[in-house]
Amino acid sequence: MLVFAFGLIAFAFANVGYSLKGRLPSGLAEYMAAFVVIMIVGHLAMRRFAPYADPLLLPLAAMLNGLGIVMTYRLAAQGNLLSAPLTPSATNIQILYSAIGIGCFVAILAFIREPRVLQRYTYTLGAIGIVLIALPALLPKSISEVANTGALIQIRFGSFTIQPEEFAKLALAISFAGYLVAKSQPLALVGRRVLGIGLPRARHLGPILLAWAASLLLLVFESDVGTSAVFMGLFVAMLYIATSRTSWLLIGFVMFVAGAFAAAKLFSHVGERFTVWLHPFTTANAEGIAFQPNQGLYGMASGGLLGKGLGGGQPYITPLVQSDLVFTAFGEELGLAGAMAILLIYGLIVQRGLSTALLVKDPFSKLLAGGLSFMLALQVFVIVGGVTRLIPLTGITTPFLSQGGSSLVASWMLIALLARLSDAARRPPPRPIQEEGLTQVVSIQ
Amino acid sequence: MNRALRRISVAVLVMFLLLLINVNYLQGFDTASLAKDPGNSRAFYAAQNQYERGSILTSDGVTIAASKLSSGSDAIKYQRYYPKGAEYAPVTGYDTLYSQTGIEQAENSLLSGNDSSLDVRKFIDLITGKTIKGASVTTTINSAAQNAAYAGLAALGHPGGVVAINPQTGAILAMASYPSYNPDLLAVHNGNQIVTNDNALLKNPAQPLINRAINGTFPPGSTFKIVTSSTFLSQDPARNTQTSVYSPTVYTLPNGNSLSNNDGEVCGTGTGHTTLIAAFAQSCDTTFANLGVQLGNAALKDQAEDFGFNDQNLTVPMLASQSNYPPLTDKSFTAMSAIGQFDDTASPLQEAMLSAAIADHGTLMRPYLVQQVTASDLSTVQTTTPSVLHQAVSPTVAGEVGQMMLAVVQDSNGTGFQFNSNAEGGLVIAGKTGTAETGQASGLDDAAFTCFAPYANPQIAVGVIIQGGGYGAAAAAPIAVQVVKAYLAYLRTK
Repeated sequence: MLVFAFGLIAFAFANVGYSLKGRLPSGLAEYMAAFVVIMIVGHLAMRRFAPYADPLLLPLAAMLNGLGIVMTYRLAAQGNLLSAPLTPSATNIQILYSAIGIGCFVAILAFIREPRVLQRYTYTLGAIGIVLIALPALLPKSISEVANTGALIQIRFGSFTIQPEEFAKLALAISFAGYLVAKSQPLALVGRRVLGIGLPRARHLGPILLAWAASLLLLVFESDVGTSAVFMGLFVAMLYIATSRTSWLLIGFVMFVAGAFAAAKLFSHVGERFTVWLHPFTTANAEGIAFQPNQGLYGMASGGLLGKGLGGGQPYITPLVQSDLVFTAFGEELGLAGAMAILLIYGLIVQRGLSTALLVKDPFSKLLAGGLSFMLALQVFVIVGGVTRLIPLTGITTPFLSQGGSSLVASWMLIALLARLSDAARRPPPRPIQEEGLTQVVSIQ
Repeated sequence: MNRALRRISVAVLVMFLLLLINVNYLQGFDTASLAKDPGNSRAFYAAQNQYERGSILTSDGVTIAASKLSSGSDAIKYQRYYPKGAEYAPVTGYDTLYSQTGIEQAENSLLSGNDSSLDVRKFIDLITGKTIKGASVTTTINSAAQNAAYAGLAALGHPGGVVAINPQTGAILAMASYPSYNPDLLAVHNGNQIVTNDNALLKNPAQPLINRAINGTFPPGSTFKIVTSSTFLSQDPARNTQTSVYSPTVYTLPNGNSLSNNDGEVCGTGTGHTTLIAAFAQSCDTTFANLGVQLGNAALKDQAEDFGFNDQNLTVPMLASQSNYPPLTDKSFTAMSAIGQFDDTASPLQEAMLSAAIADHGTLMRPYLVQQVTASDLSTVQTTTPSVLHQAVSPTVAGEVGQMMLAVVQDSNGTGFQFNSNAEGGLVIAGKTGTAETGQASGLDDAAFTCFAPYANPQIAVGVIIQGGGYGAAAAAPIAVQVVKAYLAYLRTK
């Protein structure tokens, strides 16, 4: 599987080179060597520390990671018309981040041998998650604002930036799992029934209100609608898995929609997402707030069924195509076929995660596996749905594909957790030690 | 828990199905309408930058616009550049990612290689494996004349324009405007940088983007007396340059206001009458204001239009701004119009056309800037054949007006005497000065000069207007003379 991924990525690299410069890219051997080494390290670590883990997870993630590196290389090689182009070193940096990602992947597998260990850190991780999310809003704008976007989601050290929310999502997923496993019984209690739906008791509404408030804060103070949606969705889904109460789903959904609606009315930066979604092609919007997403749609349309080929399209017209809109670049150059293949790879990873959740016995692990898988699915849904105008576009990273480090490293950490959980799920039960006694020969006189 | 997990799995499946369906819709069904959306510039960029754009050259082979492979990680394959920058900006215009001006715009389809007339050649290039390129445009510009024109304007430092024409063909030999800009600023490939540079040029109070040579219009002042004289001479064959005309020192306009000559000069010998040629050489305002009233607005307007005034559709191939001669009923206004004041306006191109028509026996040739378009295989795609725009005046009248223009420069009373043939090493120039009061409190008058040379065998006609330059003979004429000399020197070396 991994070898197949290597071959595919090498082919994609060569494709970019031939299309743009008419020859093999100069750094092909170095890039491929680094990529292969990084992934083999990941593979060997998994064989060593999680031998029973789902064998599909690593090759699937490696394939997406590799495609992301190729696209970074391809975009850096051609610049951009309307935004600052990627520097030529962007490909190296992306490979470096892949190495860091695999490093974290190995570290998680090496240090967390048993998923239940994480349950001990329910509140610690919860606090870390909240701090990570709140940090950019508390820091001065000069440190936390993504240039000219108004979004306060990063922490800048010189030219190096990290987006703490990417890691906060993981910390909070673990924390939720721990909390909900501990509190699932009272939360599942039914208070009053309204219209045939059992509503939870008022005093148990606390946690969902807290999560809702936190996600709204994200929405309002950090202008980060996408993460807020993922965050809320994650919490509600885990609550539902823990309690099996449909009422939680409804409450969560209604609260998020109400919150988003109010925010859209109150804050222009939220409201304009809806305007862009509903009326992208009016002249004023097309030349203004909808310009960037429209370029993405045009790009996907120009790709058609089979795409323009890597290096053959014009993703350079779309401003900042390397981050939120990277999926449209794949759609343009790999066509409908490639876009569907990428979605199916995501779908397969999520499916492996969910089947792990079904398989694993321990409720904490079950909840965590379900939550992480759902979060990945939701993130893909929010960003791919956003750039393809299925839902309003909210800028979040595309896991593994977007250019940038935090998202890539956090995505590998997520895969590491899923690998650890699936290892626990598929590990054969230990042999009973008394077996010998059963074979004792008893002589009857 | 497993039941809830299964339901979540179904929800995830639905989410992915929605994504897949939507991507199918977008890339399978919606492609045509998205491709046609007015905001979609992908096809435009693809067509505009598909081939290496052709060069723009002067008639003597100087490259003034060309394309080369972009450096580094540029998204657009070819970079446009302008080796001569600001000097030729009025000719080349610019080629940005979004739009063009000048020759870049007028000949865009040929330069970019998308014109249908190039289809057969492109097909041959395709099957023979040659790189397809856009066609090259050879302009009529002569680099010697252009250098002299731009250097003269730049040395003076006032806003202004110069146009030089070959009177026999209408070929434009020089087209300079000052202040100008470097088109390289707008040929950059970063959209934001283009907008920044464009805004800086647009907001520059010196207005460098305006091509004053064909789009700057100024009061023509006394150069308009060529039109008034032509009308007077054309109306009656008995009239000639020696006809005596009323030339008071102070002329009372029909509305009672009085008009004096420049600095209250006496016209002619002070008898109140002088010959037409003397009044023309000395540029007596009183004489021509009176002639204007006698001839009437309609006759002047007809004559002005035969010289190219009031033409809204003159293209060279860029659209030249209309030089204006107004329809008037008030005789006093007509008097002022007859001496190139009031609402009269003329571009440097129009000034050059006045002399060109006189130099070419009254025949005004259509001015043009594109000599030839050559495909990348060096075959000619199109060549401009000179054509007549108007018969401005009869050859007889043209000869008479030519004599009067000769007197302006060669007669010791003439306003342009400082450029007489002795002063210019035997070069005989015929011309007419103009100094237009702009009515603005600050600054000097606008200076105008139109001329042709050599008188016996005209090779070049030049029009110059300098905004705030002062006297036509002082500011405008020296530049025109330099252009004439530079071009004639070039012809001698050929």
